[in-house]
Amino acid sequence: MKKSVESQIIGVALSLPIASILIAVCAYSMPAIGNFDAWKALFEAPNLSSAIRMTLWTGLASTLLAWGLTAWLISQAFGKPWWAALVRKLGWLLAVPHAAFAVGFVFLIAPSGWFLRVLSPWLTGFEQPPQIATSQDAYGLGLIAMLIFKEVPFLLWAAATQLQRDDTGARWLRECQAAQTLGYSASTAFWRVVWPQLSPRLLWPLLAVLAYGLTVVDAALIAGPSSPATLSVRAWQWLQDSEEATNAQGAATGWLLTLIVASCAALMWALSRLRSHTTGGDRGRDASRAFGYAVWLGLLIVYAAVLLALAVGSVSGVWPFPALLPSNLSWEAWQSVASSSRSIGITLALAVLSASIGLLWAVVWLEIAPPRWDAALRKLLYLPLLLPGVLWVVGLHRLALHLQITGSFAGVLLAHVLAVLPYSLIALSPAYQGFDPRYGQISAALGKSRWQFLAQVKWPLLRQSLLATLAVGFAVSVAQYLPTLYVGEGRYVTVTTEAVNLASGGQRSLVAAYAWLQWLLPALMFAAAAWLGRPRKFIHSAS
Amino acid sequence: MSLELHVKHLKVGQGAAQRILLRDFSLICAPGQIITIMGQSGCGKSSLLAATAGLQIEGLQTELSLKLNGQRIDHLPTSQRQIGLLFQDDLLFAHMSVRENLLFACPNGPAIERAAQADAALQELGFEQFANSSPLTLSGGQRARVSLMRTLLAQPKALLLDEPFSKLDSALREQFRLMVFSHARKLGLPTLLVTHDAADVAKSAQVIQWEALQHA
Repeated sequence: MKKSVESQIIGVALSLPIASILIAVCAYSMPAIGNFDAWKALFEAPNLSSAIRMTLWTGLASTLLAWGLTAWLISQAFGKPWWAALVRKLGWLLAVPHAAFAVGFVFLIAPSGWFLRVLSPWLTGFEQPPQIATSQDAYGLGLIAMLIFKEVPFLLWAAATQLQRDDTGARWLRECQAAQTLGYSASTAFWRVVWPQLSPRLLWPLLAVLAYGLTVVDAALIAGPSSPATLSVRAWQWLQDSEEATNAQGAATGWLLTLIVASCAALMWALSRLRSHTTGGDRGRDASRAFGYAVWLGLLIVYAAVLLALAVGSVSGVWPFPALLPSNLSWEAWQSVASSSRSIGITLALAVLSASIGLLWAVVWLEIAPPRWDAALRKLLYLPLLLPGVLWVVGLHRLALHLQITGSFAGVLLAHVLAVLPYSLIALSPAYQGFDPRYGQISAALGKSRWQFLAQVKWPLLRQSLLATLAVGFAVSVAQYLPTLYVGEGRYVTVTTEAVNLASGGQRSLVAAYAWLQWLLPALMFAAAAWLGRPRKFIHSAS
Repeated sequence: MSLELHVKHLKVGQGAAQRILLRDFSLICAPGQIITIMGQSGCGKSSLLAATAGLQIEGLQTELSLKLNGQRIDHLPTSQRQIGLLFQDDLLFAHMSVRENLLFACPNGPAIERAAQADAALQELGFEQFANSSPLTLSGGQRARVSLMRTLLAQPKALLLDEPFSKLDSALREQFRLMVFSHARKLGLPTLLVTHDAADVAKSAQVIQWEALQHA
């Protein structure tokens, strides 16, 4: 009895500050709804309709194409021996931050990028970079392509978590085999049997991709069109204006974006309910396997090329078109990074602190929170993931103003912790909740205290997941762009804010260096977590 | 219609963990004949059926020749071998109704014909009232019968039975076993059954002991 009162007190102590901060952030973003002048200014803003059109076009096209490509890629690989190996590689693709990927992708597809360099002049005839915009093009195609490549690994990963479960994926694999013994080709069997059962379970990840695609700012600043820019980019520009009225207009835009996301999500949800499973009995034929391999390989090659483009770009000196490699190397960009090592220090300090707080908080919460509290708090915690980033930072900034921590390290850290927490909880939950409670019973029966059990049994057994959670939190913190700038009022410079802010300028090699760092720091952290969390090696084996 | 199987080798696993399950094994199964292969669970008898059906199972390697009515079919994918397979689980598709599951198996053709075939199967089972129900609402025995009908509706030329009775309780087991055997005989399908239970052996059936194959 005493113990349960104790854990309730800790539970309140853990959840109350977080819940009240989250509610306060939402409350502080509310006044924008009632600001009539802001809405009037927004609807009178020039080219508003073209910004909305661009948002809908890039968000919907990238989401639907990523969805289709994901489904097709799974249809080619599911049940094949190489599927498991591919799934293990997905983590590395997921670890590439959006902004770094966008910078590298633009390096590939720009008029002077590697794609055209490979094809020039023998195929295209270009001796000079063509005068056409291929990256920040007016149709948003570069942004759409970039988002597709970045979101496909996420959707694949979400699908893989379903496909690796015994009660779903393993069963679907056997159902798929049963369909093949009825005469259906492997791919038709996949589309008729596996996909109709898999796709409804991917609705939430799909809606997350949709919300992200409709509201992304950092990647859109790098790879998106500038005129007309997407609505979220416009909102971000208005929020950064020195005029308060323009800021209010930006906040109202945040609510307009929320409305757009909600309507698109509702539409997609409604469409996902329309399906019929009556088949015409056509058995279908399998396409050649080589094509499937090639597309999978293509995805991996794009990621490798993006990272390579950043690495080479960061040390490029003079690099005339259409040479494949720079004619001389230069360490200038890295010297400049080294001389502004403050940005790396701030990045690391924020990431280490917020990831540690996130991990600690998640462990204590999962250890003591009753399931009902957990379910209730999660609804609040996922808010920062669902609300458009531009709206979230408005509330966060107002709250920070009220607490007088804008422009301070504490304010930026708070913003990072709020962003990290939901991911820490998502990353740790499966392992923590799947932990066999009988270990605790056995340990208690052996006369061990709860602390002894936690320190000697549970946490050592969960070491791999604990370290992975730390790495996920670290990566989320490193990738933060909007909150770092807005709550920090530009005083706290991280590798991410540098990479995004410099992207529009001319210093290619410096942008590449920062973008590469933005990838490298979390990647090192993931590698360290994997190494420290590796299973124990026993010298003597039983057989 | 007869099924001729010659297995040169059947291996599972990679490298040092590789196990040879079977080597130089032949059988000929005549139309309507039911050959039973008996063995302990985990001995690899299911892998033999998977290899015969051409299923791609991770870590399973085999070299075999398979003839159906004198035609080599071992180079064909599962979908073109025309071999029906009844698994331990019914594997009815959870997202389709009972009728849609049956309809799924009917050969490609005019919609009216396919509907008639599915409805005839429902009628034979006496399951008309379940036509639009989810298969998950049926009992284990009912699901097993729907699963058999689904396999037969695809008009297979041979039948492989991978312990399809093992998950049913004993009363249902006997009933379902007789139903499977009578259909196989009526349609003249060469049938291979693998099981670990001597009670599953059909009357007057040829029995092969898996363990005996290992020492041959």
